[in-house]
Amino acid sequence: MFSRRKWMKVLGAGMSALDGWGQGPLRFPGKRPMLVQNDFPEDLETPVEYFDTWITPNDAFFVRQHLPRPKVDAGSWRLKVGGMVSNPLTLTLDDLKKMPPVKVPATLECAGNGRANYRPKVPGLQWSKGAIGNAEWRGVRMADLLKRAGAGAGAKYGNFNGADNGVAKTPDFIRSIPMRKLMHEATIVALEMNGAPLPEIHGFPARLVVPGWDGASWVKWVTEMDLSDEPSKGFFFATAYRYPKYSPVPGSAVKPEDMEVLEGMAVVSYFARPVHGSAAKKGSPLRLQGVAYAGENRVSRVEVSTDGGSKWIDAKLSPQNYPFAWRLFTFVGRRGYRVSHPLFEGHGFSGARAAGGMPVESVRVHV
Amino acid sequence: MKWLLGLGFALSLAAADPAVLEKGKAEEKRACVACHGTRIVHVQRLSRAQWERELTKMAGWGAPIRDREALLEYLLANYGDDKPVAPLPRSEDASNSKR
Repeated sequence: MFSRRKWMKVLGAGMSALDGWGQGPLRFPGKRPMLVQNDFPEDLETPVEYFDTWITPNDAFFVRQHLPRPKVDAGSWRLKVGGMVSNPLTLTLDDLKKMPPVKVPATLECAGNGRANYRPKVPGLQWSKGAIGNAEWRGVRMADLLKRAGAGAGAKYGNFNGADNGVAKTPDFIRSIPMRKLMHEATIVALEMNGAPLPEIHGFPARLVVPGWDGASWVKWVTEMDLSDEPSKGFFFATAYRYPKYSPVPGSAVKPEDMEVLEGMAVVSYFARPVHGSAAKKGSPLRLQGVAYAGENRVSRVEVSTDGGSKWIDAKLSPQNYPFAWRLFTFVGRRGYRVSHPLFEGHGFSGARAAGGMPVESVRVHV
Repeated sequence: MKWLLGLGFALSLAAADPAVLEKGKAEEKRACVACHGTRIVHVQRLSRAQWERELTKMAGWGAPIRDREALLEYLLANYGDDKPVAPLPRSEDASNSKR
């Protein structure tokens, strides 16, 4: 009998044969088997069963790219800091490496994670749960760069561009980040990911790390920071990556003026194991495992219900307890239970359950 | 109103025309893949109005769409919001690290 993984592989091979216009084998150097949302440019989802370590290894980390990946030469790469500054900078990679390094553990999540579960369907990549990962980023504090450049008092935003360019008339990927977030001590220009130079697909040689904020802010292959009193008017900031200011009726249209920039990410948790609909061995204790993330906050608690939500029991959390970083949770239940989505409260989120601010996911296993 | 329903019915028959769908598939290959793979299209399941908006957006971004109607019918016939979702393929293991 095929294991689930084997089955998926066979299915995958069949699909690529049907699908491919000379698209070649699905193989992404440096990556374990990933769920392929797109192969050009690469958009790769992490299968949730990889979520069993606090650090997501680089070879298992999800990938989202809007535009074809640029090939960046480390020697000729430069980071320009300009606009409303008294001392414009053009920095080499070595210049950045000479600045005081900082390490920041932080979870990176795509704003569209979970989109596959929306009803009605909405356009965009159909991420299930795997557009999220946790890494230790190492680089240079943005605040240090801003001090060095002499950021002007009137500057309100940093507008960031990377080495990637729009194809045909596709707009360039430019993101604006307000000064208050740029000045935060955990906001960095990262050169390393989990102890290795940033992999090309993750933004080599430098990317922004904007802890707690959606992946769109974490500009890859960053080359330009332009300080301004206004944000970018480009598509990827002024139109895309905006959320409604209120909870709309699913499927209804929301006026552009009722959309706002997505900043801190919402509290989420995702079951990694067991897989919904999978089989559990009769008599064996059910082990639940997953990840919980609270954007700019800490995850202080994850609760699990095995009775449809009447009673909630604390799951065990991984020891690392930081703002911006997820925690793993495990829960050992008894067989035969319908286990509903774990709820948890991050700092400042007490009462979130009562407020109904939590999407409910249930995972059912057959015994 | 009756004629409108009739027109809708006629259009839905036209949508099932294999020749139109073939044209639409060829149009996808011709107009879309210079900038991105087709998988990002094929993972989605959208309504007629949603696909219309996507085509308008892509045309604005430089997609040289000639036969928009055929492309739309092809998308709806294969990737309409009433079509079942296919599981995502998995890539081969190309990691350098041993686990």
